[in-house]
Amino acid sequence: MSFPDDLLEQAYDLANKEPTNPKQASLRRAVSTAYYALFHLLIDEAVGKWSVQRQRSILARTFEHGKMKGICDDVLKIVKSGGTIPPELNTVASNFIQLQQHRYTADYDNSKQWSRTDVLNVLSLAKDAFTAWRAISSEDVAQDYLLQLFLPKLSRQ
Amino acid sequence: MHLPPAITKQPEINAAVSDVVRLLAPDVVHIRYDIGQDWSGDWAIFFRVLLSDEASKTRLREVATQVVWRLAERLDFASMGLFPYHNFRSVSEQAALREETWA
Repeated sequence: MSFPDDLLEQAYDLANKEPTNPKQASLRRAVSTAYYALFHLLIDEAVGKWSVQRQRSILARTFEHGKMKGICDDVLKIVKSGGTIPPELNTVASNFIQLQQHRYTADYDNSKQWSRTDVLNVLSLAKDAFTAWRAISSEDVAQDYLLQLFLPKLSRQ
Repeated sequence: MHLPPAITKQPEINAAVSDVVRLLAPDVVHIRYDIGQDWSGDWAIFFRVLLSDEASKTRLREVATQVVWRLAERLDFASMGLFPYHNFRSVSEQAALREETWA
């Protein structure tokens, strides 16, 4: 399996690690891992287009969480304004933003208590995004989305 | 400080939330929410959805999807300047965790 798939599987393992009374540490790590599963799925797809393999890890480090959120926001705005975006890309963009916030809370907000219900729902956001992405990944609109994730934000002309 | 248009729309939000709870009962027990900023500083609405134990155990994804869609049908989050986030918890989980913000 690929690294992103391994991460998603690990997220489920962590969420179900304790059959009763799950530890907050397991639940938090599950949420964070689910976000990074999707993050790496998209990055791997993007840098995989780069033909010089030894440079891919350098390129992968240039992706920024905030920039990626902004691009996902743009996708949702296009959908909202009636633009033609496949529903699968809408799912990827929307779930990416959701996962990013959940990951931030899981990693940094110690006042938040996670329940297994909550975590399993978060993990399903990642799983649905994987399925949606793989259904459209070869389409032009998906390739353009990957390019936007990677490029510096250009001002509109 | 810039505030989102949703600050003045709480009656509309409350009505939509009550409507969704009524529609999806008994799977959905209640929905609480807060308006605040997300990790990036953008305005957001954070829903806390309390589910019945049965819905949580046997139909989580189905019910969660229904909650998300039914709220989005009734509330134009984009025009309110908000992005919606949703958290879910079962009645028995809340009984164990006993968080006031979920009560």
